[in-house]
Amino acid sequence: MTWADLTVIAPVAAAVGVAALVIIVDLVRPGATRPALAVAFLGLAGVAALTWWTGTTPGTAFGGSYKVDDLATFIDLLFVFIVAVSLLVAPDYLGPRGLPVPEFAAILAFALSGAMLVAGAADLLVLFLGLELMVIPGYLLAGYHRRDALSTEGAVKYFLLGSFSSAIFLFGLAFIWGLTGTTRIAGVADALAEVVAGRTALSAGLAIGLALLTTGVAFKIAAVPFHYWTPDAYQGSPTPVTGYLSVGPKVGAFALILRLFAEALGPLASEWLIVFYVLAALTMTLGNLVALTQDNVKRMLAYSSIAHTGYMLVGLAAYAAGQQEGLEGLLFYGAAYAVMNLGAFAVITALQRRPGVTSRLETFSGLGRREPLLGILMVLFLLSLTGIPPTAGFFAKAYVILAAVQEGGWLSLLAVIAVLNAAAAAFYYLRVVVYMYMREPAGEPAPVGHGALLRLGLAVTATGTVLLGLFPEPFLGTVGAAAQALATAIVR
Amino acid sequence: MFDIGRFPLLSLITFLPLAGALVIVLIPRARVGAIRWTALGFSLAAWIASLWLVIGFLPDRPTAGHAFQFVEEASWIPLFGIEYKLGVDGLSVAMVVLTTTLTWVSILASFGPIRERVKEYMISFLVLEVGMLGVFVALDLFLFYIFWEVVLVPMYLIIGIWGGANRIYATIKFVLYTLVGSLLMLVAILATAFSYQAATGSWEGAFDFVKLAAFGFDPTFQLLAFGAFFLAFAIKVPMFPFHTWLPDAHVEAPTAGSIILAGVLLKLGGYGLIRFAVPLFPDAAERAAPLIIVLSVIAIIYGAIVSLVQPDLKKLVAYSSVSHMGFVTLGIFVFNEQALQGAILQMINHGLITGALFLLVGVIYERTHDRTIAKMTGLGGPVPVYAAALGFFVFASAGLPGLAGFVGEFLVLLGTFAFNPAVAALSALVMILGAAYLLFMTQRVLFGELSDFLRGLGHHLVDMQPVEILSVAPLAALTVVFGLFPGLVLDLVAGSVGAFLAAVDPALAVAAGH
Repeated sequence: MTWADLTVIAPVAAAVGVAALVIIVDLVRPGATRPALAVAFLGLAGVAALTWWTGTTPGTAFGGSYKVDDLATFIDLLFVFIVAVSLLVAPDYLGPRGLPVPEFAAILAFALSGAMLVAGAADLLVLFLGLELMVIPGYLLAGYHRRDALSTEGAVKYFLLGSFSSAIFLFGLAFIWGLTGTTRIAGVADALAEVVAGRTALSAGLAIGLALLTTGVAFKIAAVPFHYWTPDAYQGSPTPVTGYLSVGPKVGAFALILRLFAEALGPLASEWLIVFYVLAALTMTLGNLVALTQDNVKRMLAYSSIAHTGYMLVGLAAYAAGQQEGLEGLLFYGAAYAVMNLGAFAVITALQRRPGVTSRLETFSGLGRREPLLGILMVLFLLSLTGIPPTAGFFAKAYVILAAVQEGGWLSLLAVIAVLNAAAAAFYYLRVVVYMYMREPAGEPAPVGHGALLRLGLAVTATGTVLLGLFPEPFLGTVGAAAQALATAIVR
Repeated sequence: MFDIGRFPLLSLITFLPLAGALVIVLIPRARVGAIRWTALGFSLAAWIASLWLVIGFLPDRPTAGHAFQFVEEASWIPLFGIEYKLGVDGLSVAMVVLTTTLTWVSILASFGPIRERVKEYMISFLVLEVGMLGVFVALDLFLFYIFWEVVLVPMYLIIGIWGGANRIYATIKFVLYTLVGSLLMLVAILATAFSYQAATGSWEGAFDFVKLAAFGFDPTFQLLAFGAFFLAFAIKVPMFPFHTWLPDAHVEAPTAGSIILAGVLLKLGGYGLIRFAVPLFPDAAERAAPLIIVLSVIAIIYGAIVSLVQPDLKKLVAYSSVSHMGFVTLGIFVFNEQALQGAILQMINHGLITGALFLLVGVIYERTHDRTIAKMTGLGGPVPVYAAALGFFVFASAGLPGLAGFVGEFLVLLGTFAFNPAVAALSALVMILGAAYLLFMTQRVLFGELSDFLRGLGHHLVDMQPVEILSVAPLAALTVVFGLFPGLVLDLVAGSVGAFLAAVDPALAVAAGH
């Protein structure tokens, strides 16, 4: 280990350090939320600063198994943002239910370190390590409400299917390692390029490996038909956890797809493109169709999250087919989805501050009159999720659609499927608006005060949703640089 | 001297209502009066600014190609060549003034009927105005699309919150229909921009309407893109068979919502066809024209026949809109000067007359809480002013010569006759049908013995109040003015007509004397 290795790995180490510090603070002052939160936020700010500082000098570490480039920096900072907003929102939900906040912060910080490892992985083993480090905290969080049967059920399903998919994924990695003789991502790409150049058909081993890996990541991003764990896990989890689960692991899993499929398996792009094409079409359509029938908002957002995975896959398919804009759109979509979905979940969290309040549609009745500001913010987030301008969600959709249309041919069909889905999605998103503004509540629930942190979380997400939609230009440069940094092995 | 050309007048007009909405946000919701007057004040300010636009507009500019005035340009998302670009030609100016006029009329007409959640209502209405005005002045396709969608949300709320019993069904249907069309149009807009980028190698100007209109796209691509644009606009117009959202939306919408829906929102479709769909993809437009003409004639006849059997006043007016708007699409797609002039006139006249009819239906509904034609006979006796106003606009709608409704339909028929006498004859028959359902309705509502239902209302059945008269009067005045002097509008839009015809076929424009 050299000094240079340490500087490259510093942000990951800092994330682990933050987790440890929060636990120590919790040990010193048991049950005290404020000091732990203060340490967590200061720590996250430190991690962000370190990430930014490390990102200014791209490089590799530990013999080329871990690297820092603009893409890794982008994903890392996005993940820090996701964790920070989740932490802003969570105390208002966890506190009244007697659930410990410091542990929540520590678990999220651990997940952050995992996501950072995935984003910077240059070796298949580091990739897998990061993946597990990212998702295992997710299992813990899903079951965070120990005495709630639904939470436990969701966590068990999430854990079982997640473990299976990890095993399948690892099995796939083993095949790739066996056939290429290396676990270094660049090495795998070189070996596969030779294989592809020499032969037309894939060997059986490679085909099996590819199928297993695809299945594994399809589980992680909850693509149809590998999505069955999602609704239960999302509905059962405590609301702020659901918000985190719907964006955090998704962003991480897409980072994994980019590192694995674009960088390592790039030479086989013509083989896996068709798979992701079909997955995108199925995921959008089925996610939306099932979301149409939900009367629980959390469950509805869970299915809609599946649909959003589909839209992001459109970007991936366009990228694999040769459009740089596809990758840019995917990254932009990830950021936009994080902002707007965390915002929507922040509103639900605010509503559920009082224990016992469900996330059923009726909870939203008359919200526009009871809490005008909360109502308007929810409308903003829902419009953005629908893709109505001028919001972040609209520009993100336009971006991936543009990429698909640029490629033309079958990809433009995918674009048409995407917009028809967006129109169908308007139905269930607007249904929440119907309840908020056009239905009266059965009883008059007493207004609930909101914590300052939650307000800050709402302000941040709302501002992001508007700014990314109205003035995306400054952000587009960042996205473009991140996309450019991907050492793609896809043959153009 | 103050240079009117440099002043961002279009931005001022477009965003004045937004400023009004923001001011209203700050007013406490209990101060209903202040909210109402602020809304009216800002909509009047936008109206006055739009009159300034008419005065400053120079109709006799050379009409070769699209000559836009008051152009404002600012870079917005340079990576994709997306600009904040506004500009107007005669058609836009006419539509802007129609919008600003009908908005303040609608807001005034809402003073009485809207008593619940006035704050939210007025904010929605002013934001709606921003979207409508933006559509008429945007020259960048991306910007245009954003304004196009901005219209959707406030209208959704206006129908859904302040509408009738079945409002939620109606408003969701309205949104879903519109969204399907507009999202496909988004794909087409992006594809159009990309085709331009692929051919020129640069994103610069890829969303700029002026550059795209001069580009000339590949015929196969035109067909697909035109299809998507056409669908979006045809749903908005609405053309047969995409019209089914309209009766629901109209019947459930509050009165002012109906006025704006009929007066401006339907015109967004007609405007989109004239401004964007045809000039951008002229080859495809010409190939699709026969089909669209057939659909237009069906809409004209179908709308009139269905109107004949409506038992509900508002539904009758709504279906008559389908028929009247059929003349607009017919006039656009026969591609000659008179027909297009007629179509534009018809858009404006329909906005004024149908807007006024919805207003009058709303007036009687305020008193009776019913719109069934059969229950209202003999209104002429107790409410003479109302009867006179209704009679006036019914005649205008039926196309009585001398009033505005006549000129538009007549010019469309004249132009269509040159294109195909059979089509013209078929459409002309409908003017008789139109007269039939309107006069039949008038006869039943205004004349005869006062019905028991109305007698039961007693002193609640009062004649029109000053505020109501004030909101109908400008529409009546304009109906007379445009009926007697259609040249006022025709001179204004002459440049737009010439540019449209030149885009379809340069020979046509020459023949028409441009």
